[in-house]
Amino acid sequence: MSAEVKPRRGSVATTSRDAAVGRAAEAAHPSSGAAPSKEKRPFLLDFFPLEGPDQTRLSRFYERLREGRLSTTRCPHDGERHWPPRTACPKCHSEELEWFDLPETGTIYAFSAVLGGAPLGLEEGVPFAVGLVDLDGDALRLFGRIEGKPWTELTIGGHVRVEPFDLADGRVFYRFRTVD
Amino acid sequence: MTGRSVAIVGGATTLFGVRATTWPEMAQEVGAALFRAVPELRSEDVDSLFVGAAEPERFAFQSHVAPLAAEQMGLRPHRVIQRTELACASGQSAIRSAYAAIAAGISDVAVAVGVEKMNLPSMAEANTSMGCVMDRPWDGPHGATAPPFFAMVAQRHMLEHGTTPEMMAAVSEKNHRFANTNPHAQFYAKKFPREKLLGLPVVAPPLRLGDCSSMTDGAAAVLLTAEEFVPRYTKTPAWIRGTGQYSDFHNLANAGSLTDWVGLTRAAREALGRAKVSIHDIDFAEIHDCFSISEIVEYEALGLCASGEGGQFALDGRGDRGGDLVVNPRGGLLGCGHPLGATGIAQAVEVFGQFARTVPGERQVPDPEWALVHNLSGSANVHSVMVYQGGGAS
Repeated sequence: MSAEVKPRRGSVATTSRDAAVGRAAEAAHPSSGAAPSKEKRPFLLDFFPLEGPDQTRLSRFYERLREGRLSTTRCPHDGERHWPPRTACPKCHSEELEWFDLPETGTIYAFSAVLGGAPLGLEEGVPFAVGLVDLDGDALRLFGRIEGKPWTELTIGGHVRVEPFDLADGRVFYRFRTVD
Repeated sequence: MTGRSVAIVGGATTLFGVRATTWPEMAQEVGAALFRAVPELRSEDVDSLFVGAAEPERFAFQSHVAPLAAEQMGLRPHRVIQRTELACASGQSAIRSAYAAIAAGISDVAVAVGVEKMNLPSMAEANTSMGCVMDRPWDGPHGATAPPFFAMVAQRHMLEHGTTPEMMAAVSEKNHRFANTNPHAQFYAKKFPREKLLGLPVVAPPLRLGDCSSMTDGAAAVLLTAEEFVPRYTKTPAWIRGTGQYSDFHNLANAGSLTDWVGLTRAAREALGRAKVSIHDIDFAEIHDCFSISEIVEYEALGLCASGEGGQFALDGRGDRGGDLVVNPRGGLLGCGHPLGATGIAQAVEVFGQFARTVPGERQVPDPEWALVHNLSGSANVHSVMVYQGGGAS
């Protein structure tokens, strides 16, 4: 993907399934009580969340991420946009929220790097850069790993794009990658 | 303010450092130290116990630590017994809870104790525990821990205000030098001149090792009581005159300005307002220098200097002996180390010791009357402030 690709902006949720972040989502996926079998690391030593519909009412976030879309929730009643995604609006407390896609590109607001002392499961990437990224045309500022350049070559204001990626055990997460 | 006046009437800390001892053993050690420090105290006097502990489940594989601490310390609380958890401010939370219980008449004599065991055989495991102070499923997988967050604060402060590594080193040098007067401090015996600090390895750019407080084992305890019982224990009480807290975000995306800690300004305004004093009345302050940049931002948020001038405030020695006020006389978190739940209690032990004139002479602040204590927790998303007055009547 190049920098010229237009980000998808604010497309409103279109399916009833997308909108199901309220209690209905949990009712539709009664918990099996079991963690996904592919996971090898004990949950309490693993920063990556349990993503399945039997574990979280926000599983749609991860499903959409698998489709290449970084998204979050907003409240159709008061327009409040949330990060991270939520099941209840912090402003009006409505539980009927909807999903929308976030822009795929942004600029670095601040950054640093982890040169040592990384938590378990994250040591392999050391040294790695992290930063706060202002998404384009959007008030949301997200924190994340920044790949693509060593931290010594990053700059405030530098351009990045969102990059979903797969974990070895089948889960999915996101990070940023520098754009020249 | 309604309720009874409450004072700290005694306190003690263990040695802070990389300790060859366990969580329960440190609770015993600090209990013994407290009873030595307050010879008039009988264990049956203590009706309530508040235990500040941030992550005993992670660091010591132990929950339900309040009765554990009580047993270790030889206490049998019969009014209130509980743990307070607020990450790096768990200790001050224990004091605040004891204060509230005594002011309300629920407790008459309470102990607030903080214990943290952080050094484990696997420091990767310890770092994992530190990471879960953040918004674990959203910020955690990116590798968020305290150093990179406070490094971004430093980076923005340097960009917005021209703050320099030398200014941050000035904070660290001062607090390490103060720790050379504190035999309980982790870095009591180590010298850190500015040029040495500026040559230490980078941990999270632009922060170097000497800009960061340490993973530390330690415990501290204070005794609190109501005005009518104060004379039983001391002639030099540290009266709690004001308290304030503020929390405005948790996920790092919602931090807003990294360099303007509005939460601290609000918490301090609340605490100083209740005490009916101004920041300029404060003779010494114990503030949360988890990183050198933190103390610089705190100078500004507390109103000790204008926004953006915290670095120059440090460089000019205005928080040093002979400056506007003495900041972190015991050595701060940078010099003493930072055993999460014990830090806030150790700060209060210093306040009591300064008012009682029991600290070593070279550490004594001249004629102190007012002290301010600040704890922050997590990614500076909670600020906790207390104001104390020494001497005088209740």
